[in-house]
Amino acid sequence: MRKNIALVLAVAVLAVPSAVVAQSASQAQKFKLKPGATGNACLECHATFADVLKKPFVHTPVKAKDCVGCHNPHASQHGKLLDASPSQTCLACHGGVVPKNAKSTHKPVEEKGCAGCHDPHASNAKFVLLKPGNELCGGCHKPILEQAAKSKFKHRPVEQNCGTCHDPHGSAKADDLLKTDVPGLCVKCHKTDGQIFLKQHMGYQVATSRCTSCHDPHGSDKRGMLYNKVHAPVAKQMCNQCHEPPGSPRKFQPKIAGADLCRGCHAQKMTEMLAKDRVHVAMVEGQACLTCHNPHAAKQSGLMRKGGQLATCGGCHADTIKRQKLSPTKHDPVATGQCTSCHDPHSSNSPLLMSNPDVIEGCGACHDWLKHSSHPMGAKTKDPRNKNLQVQCLSCHRSHGTEYKHMMPYPTTSDLCTKCHEKFKR
Amino acid sequence: MPVNHFVRASALLVAALALSPVAARAQTTPFVFDRAILQDEKEVALKAPEGVACDDAGNVVIADSGNGRLLLYRFAGGSLSAATELKPAGVVYPRRLQLDSKGNILVLDPKARKIFRVDPKGAVLGAIELKAGATALQAFPVAFKVDSADNVHVVDAVGARVVTFDPAGSVKRQLDLPKGTTAITDVHVDGSGNLYVVDGSQAAVWSADKTATAFKPFTPSMRDKMNFPGYMTGSKGRFFLVDQNGHGIVVLGADGAFQGRQLAIGWGDGYLYYPAQLCINAAGSAFIADRSNNRVQIFDTNR
Repeated sequence: MRKNIALVLAVAVLAVPSAVVAQSASQAQKFKLKPGATGNACLECHATFADVLKKPFVHTPVKAKDCVGCHNPHASQHGKLLDASPSQTCLACHGGVVPKNAKSTHKPVEEKGCAGCHDPHASNAKFVLLKPGNELCGGCHKPILEQAAKSKFKHRPVEQNCGTCHDPHGSAKADDLLKTDVPGLCVKCHKTDGQIFLKQHMGYQVATSRCTSCHDPHGSDKRGMLYNKVHAPVAKQMCNQCHEPPGSPRKFQPKIAGADLCRGCHAQKMTEMLAKDRVHVAMVEGQACLTCHNPHAAKQSGLMRKGGQLATCGGCHADTIKRQKLSPTKHDPVATGQCTSCHDPHSSNSPLLMSNPDVIEGCGACHDWLKHSSHPMGAKTKDPRNKNLQVQCLSCHRSHGTEYKHMMPYPTTSDLCTKCHEKFKR
Repeated sequence: MPVNHFVRASALLVAALALSPVAARAQTTPFVFDRAILQDEKEVALKAPEGVACDDAGNVVIADSGNGRLLLYRFAGGSLSAATELKPAGVVYPRRLQLDSKGNILVLDPKARKIFRVDPKGAVLGAIELKAGATALQAFPVAFKVDSADNVHVVDAVGARVVTFDPAGSVKRQLDLPKGTTAITDVHVDGSGNLYVVDGSQAAVWSADKTATAFKPFTPSMRDKMNFPGYMTGSKGRFFLVDQNGHGIVVLGADGAFQGRQLAIGWGDGYLYYPAQLCINAAGSAFIADRSNNRVQIFDTNR
């Protein structure tokens, strides 16, 4: 079996350069280059390119001085005299970098920007990468690597190379470009059948559970690399406060189903929530509390599920998140996923689950200038369009954004103002 | 002869082009502003009204949610009567309304977790309650509809089901909500007894006929056509979805096909700002609880 795999690999390795050679031969024929002229003819003018060829990692066609493999020496509709678009050029040889039916694809690959990570000619880093390993990834994923670097409990593969766990192009097997889904990926290094492992997990058989529901794979400040925000029973290693004891035929089943389990400790809070006029349906439907909260540990405060409020709230309110994305003016709490700056996610006595029933007061918590310098607003200023409304911030702005500047509901300021000040309409 | 053909063909083409806007318009139901109800006779302004119900006998009832009261009107021949204020015992936060065949008002009060049956004078005749559990979280009614036989269909968010109660209040049928759906915002029942539920999050509708044991997709996700539908009703072979966050009314054909949108965001007459409930009577008058505009607007859908 191993022999067969080795044979297949050997054929594959040999096949790529031979394909390149075949292609380059046809390209050379196309331009009717003199024998031996390939590349050397180019270097006569592009003399400084000789230094590029001295770099430790040189792209195969460059090494073969097959400039016409990618460039058209006469004229082209594409930049850098490329014979085709940059993505087409790369994909002619590297068509298979993204697996078919990929579960996740790296954004630069999706956007066909190979040059975002690779130097098409030569580089000092392996795989002709612009920078070596994690340094390159950190260009975009800086917060993850910064957090990993300063975390108290580090995960060795993160320090070594992101590529240990992630496929930089795409993964057919898992989300987040993981080479294999969790826990399959984790158990390649972490043995789950040992006594220590079992003891660390209070005797629960967690070998097939999703490790990343409790552990931060990039490192954390909590022992056991738990996410930084840990639910009190987990921190106290009191799993059986919520779950059936280890060895129970019901395995991990919670002792009581649904929100009633949470109510055991959070009775006071939940009673207050349920007594308000408007209860957020997400709080009671489906998995109830677990719709938004991770019961074990999380990165975000409030034990919010992966992706924080932007992803959790946006799961149902995608229309609102989309509106913000399309808006030329961003509202910081929406853009950064701080929905709870304005809304109470559980319940409220105000429409739209607003935390503060007074819009002016609510906005004023951040925009305090409006209290001393603004258009007349408040109870004494009736909206000329509707006498049941008072003029307030949302009379002119939409808090989640619009397709127009300044989150206005109309294209221009005069369009907006003349809705009330009709005599100025032209 | 070929010239005649050409002339005839040209005439047909011109006629088709001229009529095509008419044909397109015929696909929609126009909502022409008639009037707005902003306050009662004592000049008490409506506050965040979330419900409005109507019937073919001219009765109109408003859930003035923010003021914790109902307002009963007669609307016939283009004339709106004075309001009768009702404050039924136990109804704290009236949200959604329906009228049954006897003219009684069904009021969903999510705070009380009950659907109250109230007579036109405001007396409470009874209440529909999803199975009372040991804890407050065993059932949670979020929406309901009454059919022509006075059966009441209730969406229970906790139980992830639609429960149908007969007029005597006994459970007649239970149907699980479609798996994987979140934010089911409404249930609708048509004249043939088919049930529909609205998935606000996916902007999709599911249906189940009278004998079905499960819901099936009635429309695909229509996120590209609406934002967050919160209410569904039907009239004259069409369905209407209240697009709460999109501030408009979405019209669907009998087969669920998208036929267009009506109305838009705004604060003046004829515009909507977070509408909540819609009712269309046989005379074609449409009543919209225009929640965040603190009013109920009446539209004519016949013009």
